[in-house]
Amino acid sequence: MSLGFRLSVVIFVYILMGLGMFWLSVGIVGKKVRVKPFLIYAVCFGAAYLLSMLASFWLFGEETVFNGWYNVVHSLICYTIEAAALGVVIRQCYGIPYVQGLTASMLSHFIIYTADEVVGEAAATYSPLFDRMYIYTFVTIIIPKLWAFFIAFLAAYVLRKSGFYRYFAALFSGGLKTLLIVSAGYLLMFVWTAIDYFYPNAEPNALYAVFFFSLITVVLLWVQFMAMYTAGQEKIHVQEETIAQQQAHMELLEELQQEIRAFRHDVTNLFSGLTLQAQEGDLDGIQEFMRKTSSYFDEKLGNEIKQMDCLNNIRIYPIRSLLTTKLAAMRQRHMQGVLEVLYPVRESQMMETADMLRGLGILIDNAMEAVPEKDGQIRLVMLQEERELYIAVANNYEAEPDLNALSEKGYTTKGSGHGTGLSSYRKILSRYPGFVARTYLKDGFFVQELRMPMRTA
Amino acid sequence: MIPVYICDDEQAISERLKKIISDRIMILDGDMGPVRVADAPAKLLELQKQDTVPAIYFLDIDFPGQMSGLALAQELRRYDPRGFIVFITAHGDLAFETFRLRLEALDYIVKGDYNEMSVRVRDCLVSIQERLRDEPSGQGRYCTLKLFDTVRHIPVEDILYFEALGYKHTLRLHMINELLEFNSSLDHFGEQLGEGFWRCHRGFLVNRDHIRAVHMKEQIVELDTGDQCPLSRKAKVEYRDKCKR
Repeated sequence: MSLGFRLSVVIFVYILMGLGMFWLSVGIVGKKVRVKPFLIYAVCFGAAYLLSMLASFWLFGEETVFNGWYNVVHSLICYTIEAAALGVVIRQCYGIPYVQGLTASMLSHFIIYTADEVVGEAAATYSPLFDRMYIYTFVTIIIPKLWAFFIAFLAAYVLRKSGFYRYFAALFSGGLKTLLIVSAGYLLMFVWTAIDYFYPNAEPNALYAVFFFSLITVVLLWVQFMAMYTAGQEKIHVQEETIAQQQAHMELLEELQQEIRAFRHDVTNLFSGLTLQAQEGDLDGIQEFMRKTSSYFDEKLGNEIKQMDCLNNIRIYPIRSLLTTKLAAMRQRHMQGVLEVLYPVRESQMMETADMLRGLGILIDNAMEAVPEKDGQIRLVMLQEERELYIAVANNYEAEPDLNALSEKGYTTKGSGHGTGLSSYRKILSRYPGFVARTYLKDGFFVQELRMPMRTA
Repeated sequence: MIPVYICDDEQAISERLKKIISDRIMILDGDMGPVRVADAPAKLLELQKQDTVPAIYFLDIDFPGQMSGLALAQELRRYDPRGFIVFITAHGDLAFETFRLRLEALDYIVKGDYNEMSVRVRDCLVSIQERLRDEPSGQGRYCTLKLFDTVRHIPVEDILYFEALGYKHTLRLHMINELLEFNSSLDHFGEQLGEGFWRCHRGFLVNRDHIRAVHMKEQIVELDTGDQCPLSRKAKVEYRDKCKR
């Protein structure tokens, strides 16, 4: 066999496997396949192979190549680097958190290698010894790789169609869960290395194939089930929160109703007095009365009604209920909370609602923590503009916050346990390119501003 | 002289306001004027470009059938980021926090009683005068920042340092009393600001005027505000060489 042929086979295999891994991983996280990230990954993939090859040569010397421990060490190094690299590429190019990319790459590694190994072993065992090496190569190497790629492609298609990524993200909501899924993925990646090491001469019969394909299916189903289950739990949690927020809203409405009732009572009384004055022809008294009561309605109910109008302008319901709850909490703690939303705030922002909810929640909580005991004032402004959404949270303060210390992790004026919010706020923002965040002190107020560009359709 | 503009579609109001403002400027002996009146937003935008900035603007909140006071103010801000904006409103219930925070509007005046308006105008003009005195205009250099479609000019002496954040070309600009995070690169500002700034670390660009001390051993650059920036090995060598010479 000529060197050229060998080389081209190696390159072909290498590209196909790399592409398969990339394709499936991107499918798992629900993104579109793009050329540039793939090329970056391909380089890493190649480097991983070369590096692990060199490392195992150096460890074992040339004689023992391709048996026993050599394979184990080689796979350990190579697969780990490979998966880590793909995780990094997915994080950088698609903005997916690192652990998710890593797990996706480990899972796809398992699926592709299983598909490849099963068919490859079968082909190697059962195919007749062709006198032409080319055909033999084709049957035992190229067909299995093509098959593996096909499986990857199919799996990616199905996963993307079924919207798997929505559940997948939920798998990483807790520390323990994340650890579990990552280690499971890591172990799965080495299933084949282990089998090769312990049973080097296993016979690849039909049973064997059935076993491994059912293993793929079981793993996929397991992951899918786990993911859906966790997502379901999250959903229940979110719903519970929404109910609590709706309750706060109801309370606000009830309060308003109480006030209207009291107001009606007042007005009836006032008017009976007025009628008396009118009967007596006391024009001056009536004028005096008019002057006094003209602003009465505004004072009494103006603020509540204005606040309602502003709340109604927020068309993103989770945000609306968040603000309702927070405003209610402010009233309860005798802080003066002002909300201004001049124009309707629409959905389909750059930012996902869940992230906006968390970010806004952190800003408001911080503001509520920082206001002085007496006469705390908090101002919330949301302004929908053509090209951006402007959000500002301002509060007065007791001790002037140190802005530069604020940018460090865990800054707070209230002792430990508080102040971890701001670093998660920054972490949320880091996922959205193009934002402008501003923090400043002005006229006795501490202001946190966020400007998010609107998605240009 | 700082030009003053009034924009209101009710002639009676704008005439009255013009009289009040002119009188008050006279009493205060302020460096302000002339007072011009525009009856429509488009006209004001035209007028604005014919004179210098910063300027003082008294704007109505709404012009039926035309652009809103908010949009007008935003448009004005584009050419005059440091100008003073005061809104005129028929009733007290305008969303002033929005105007104050988004547009850095100064105050608002409620149409109505002549004397009340006069007092409010005086307060505004006094506060403008104070602010002008506090920030010597046109003196120092400015650093220009483009944020979306607006440009911000920041006095260089207010800048402490730039910090590159780990993710996606985000910079954090540390100023006196302000932090600003946005998308850009340190190289860009290194070029724009030139010699006055020092790249003491791959991710830090420091205003030399604010450096209090360079601690070689701890590899830290200390600023006069007490903030600290890391000092890279490369910058340390560079610094030592410069000191020797």
